[in-house]
Amino acid sequence: MMKVLKGLFNTTRPHFESGGRLEKLHPLFDAIETVAFTPALTTRSDAHVRDSLDLKRYMTFVIIALMPPFFFGIYNTGYQSHLASGLNLGFVPVMMQGAWVVLPMLMVSYAVGLFWEVLFASIRKHNISEGFLVTGLLFPMTLPPTTPLWQVAVGISFGVVIGKEIFGGTGRNILNPALTARAFIFFAYPANMSGDRVWTLVEQSGQQAVDAVTAATPLALLPLVTAGESASRILGDAGYTFQRLFIGNIPGSVCETSALMCLLGAVFLVLTGVGNYRNMLGGVFGMLAVAYPGYLIYLSSGGQSATMFSVHPVWHLVMGSFAFGIVYMATDPVSGPGMNLSRWIYGFAIGALTVMIRVFNPAYPEGVMLAILFMNLFAPLIDHFVIKARLRTRVPNV
Amino acid sequence: MNAIHLKKGFSIRIAGAPERHLHRLNTPDHVGMVPEQIPFVKPRLLVEEGDSVSIGTPLFEDKRNTRIRFLSPGGGRVKRIVFGPRRIIRQIVIALDKDEPCEAFDVPTVEQLDAIPRQALVDTLLAGGMWPFFKTLPFMDLADPDTVPPSIIVRLGNDEPFGPDPVVYLKEQEDRFGLGMDLLNKLCDRVVVNLTGDESIGSALPDQAVIQRYTGCYPAGNPSVQLYRIRTGSEQNRAWFIDGQDVILMGDFLRTGRYPVQRIMTVGGSLAPTAEHVSTRAGVPLRLMCNGGLAGEPAARTIVGGVFTGFAGSPDGFMGFYQNALNLLDDGDREEPFGFIRPGANKPSYSTAFLSAFRRKPFPMDCGQHGEVRACVNCGTCARICPVDILPQFTMKCLVADEVEEALAHGLLDCAECGLCTYACPSKIQLREVFQAAKAQYYKEIS
Repeated sequence: MMKVLKGLFNTTRPHFESGGRLEKLHPLFDAIETVAFTPALTTRSDAHVRDSLDLKRYMTFVIIALMPPFFFGIYNTGYQSHLASGLNLGFVPVMMQGAWVVLPMLMVSYAVGLFWEVLFASIRKHNISEGFLVTGLLFPMTLPPTTPLWQVAVGISFGVVIGKEIFGGTGRNILNPALTARAFIFFAYPANMSGDRVWTLVEQSGQQAVDAVTAATPLALLPLVTAGESASRILGDAGYTFQRLFIGNIPGSVCETSALMCLLGAVFLVLTGVGNYRNMLGGVFGMLAVAYPGYLIYLSSGGQSATMFSVHPVWHLVMGSFAFGIVYMATDPVSGPGMNLSRWIYGFAIGALTVMIRVFNPAYPEGVMLAILFMNLFAPLIDHFVIKARLRTRVPNV
Repeated sequence: MNAIHLKKGFSIRIAGAPERHLHRLNTPDHVGMVPEQIPFVKPRLLVEEGDSVSIGTPLFEDKRNTRIRFLSPGGGRVKRIVFGPRRIIRQIVIALDKDEPCEAFDVPTVEQLDAIPRQALVDTLLAGGMWPFFKTLPFMDLADPDTVPPSIIVRLGNDEPFGPDPVVYLKEQEDRFGLGMDLLNKLCDRVVVNLTGDESIGSALPDQAVIQRYTGCYPAGNPSVQLYRIRTGSEQNRAWFIDGQDVILMGDFLRTGRYPVQRIMTVGGSLAPTAEHVSTRAGVPLRLMCNGGLAGEPAARTIVGGVFTGFAGSPDGFMGFYQNALNLLDDGDREEPFGFIRPGANKPSYSTAFLSAFRRKPFPMDCGQHGEVRACVNCGTCARICPVDILPQFTMKCLVADEVEEALAHGLLDCAECGLCTYACPSKIQLREVFQAAKAQYYKEIS
């Protein structure tokens, strides 16, 4: 089997080498070949021995960590769709329906994104970085199931080109490319993903026509809480219990509804050392640090003022896509800060900003995307001051 | 004795640690000098091919300071001088005579040592070719004979895999070591023995010696790291250091008045026929060290020195002036199907991304790069592993952007050149090379 594969690479390689017909596509060939075979590169000089971890494995582990929300997302998308359409709720048909929605989005995202990657890699004559595989997967996972495929294509193009490649490619971008792509779609096509309405795919039996129904997201219900009412009751009336929000079997963007699945991914990321727990915990602390005082003010006023804080702070952790954002987006090492203290600050600010956007800004019910992008911009600044403080403790040596 | 424990750093669990028993190698029929591998030195040859030399005849001097001379490790005839590109001197090969002639140097007796002025002692060491054993931090160039260092660090025990164990080379050499220590004390008021490894060695040292023990992971035995841990002010930065075995050579030199050529070295690594300590002489051919060559192992890498900082040699080469270790590793020149997703129970890693995190046995490591070079993604592995708290990923970017001042503020000169950042980088960036080159460039500009 491996021999056949090796033979296939060996026979096609000449076309991609300099002088070959497909010389310009060499990065693509290289990317595919190095997935199948870790190349036989040896150290040229010191250090003679090298660690077994490479960036391919590093990025692959992010993808593995994304699998629980991904598969749950496929299931949930199909389930919500069949629920709204009154179709069979069995596991297999639901998974089929979910895959029918999610996989085309994923394929478009990968295909279009890969096109840009190969284009830039060919022009710059460097190899395709594995970071793209994460971006191309993250982006469709954050979209509503009703997003037209052309928007997926436009979004990933913007994310890859403007979010990453114009800065020089993987490792040099200042914004998270997947979030850049999503923010672009969010602001460019608000009718399709305004954020306060949630979209569920409805299949009308017989006609094959695809339509969508919308309903208020739990977050969009928050500003509706008036004096003397309890947010938990309003949410409960709409069918959003804490348990359901935690498990995530609610309508929403395809793969980011389940805090439980994100928690599984987070455990994997932290255990393998690929994701930094400081960003995640910082985010949780930041969220609680803003939501708790607000909640106490609400309670102390007897439910008469600060009604936007009326939901119990812990609910914020499982509502919306905070869990997904803080686990997978805020831990992106490239767009995040590099110092441990900065990571706490960065995570904390993301959590705090998310709550503030949620409760104070009715225009954007969900704030985690904007909070992370905003803090992406500040990551170098935080690092700058943290490094400066640290260098002050060094004994100078010049 | 309060040990300083090094938490930051990493000890790779690599197979092929040399046994403590000592094997006496056969006398070689030729020995060699490798000037190319002595950093910063600008050699000027003092011999030609065909010249007769004795043990202790100067082979070349340093153009920057002609008082510093490197002496012949053997008596006989200069058989060959090998030049590389731009006439860099690769090798000076000396065919040994049966009865090797030996130069005699005028050295003070033990009694005279107390009274002799420092400068006279320095001149004796310069003439006797012993001076190059002193190196100075942070650039690790030869020590300047005209300055008095803030301190001299005696590195007793090098924990880089793999090097000679002080337990082996100190055995029955305690008096020579003591004599060498007396000599060091004449050169500098503050001489510290930095001990790594076996605590029991401490009892074999002279009573009045100042001993500081270091424990923990690699590179606890690196003088730069040791200095970084104890220094309190920037005036201590330019300390000298000398290897423990070279202190014995100093004592030997004082006792006999001859240039000492006996060395205790190690042969290690997973491909070594027998990983052990060997007693041999300076400049021994590598072929002899690895037991008649590696006939059955064409894909072996011969590393002169430790596996992090050593030079890649060929079996036709010789041991370097400073290196007392030969490590033979698998070259690792092979592809691995789907290497990035294997569970990796036998793949050593600093990270916890392999099942090997549960393994406690040593790994037979190879010299494969285990992945392609990528851009830095700021994962911070290097900053976590750096024993002197540099932020290699940021410092590297400073250097790439030519911000040398900023890199210096980051502690570039504290870099111990231990190679751990290069080892651990998942993007396979050769950080050590970047720092080493930047330090050398800066040194060139200030000197």
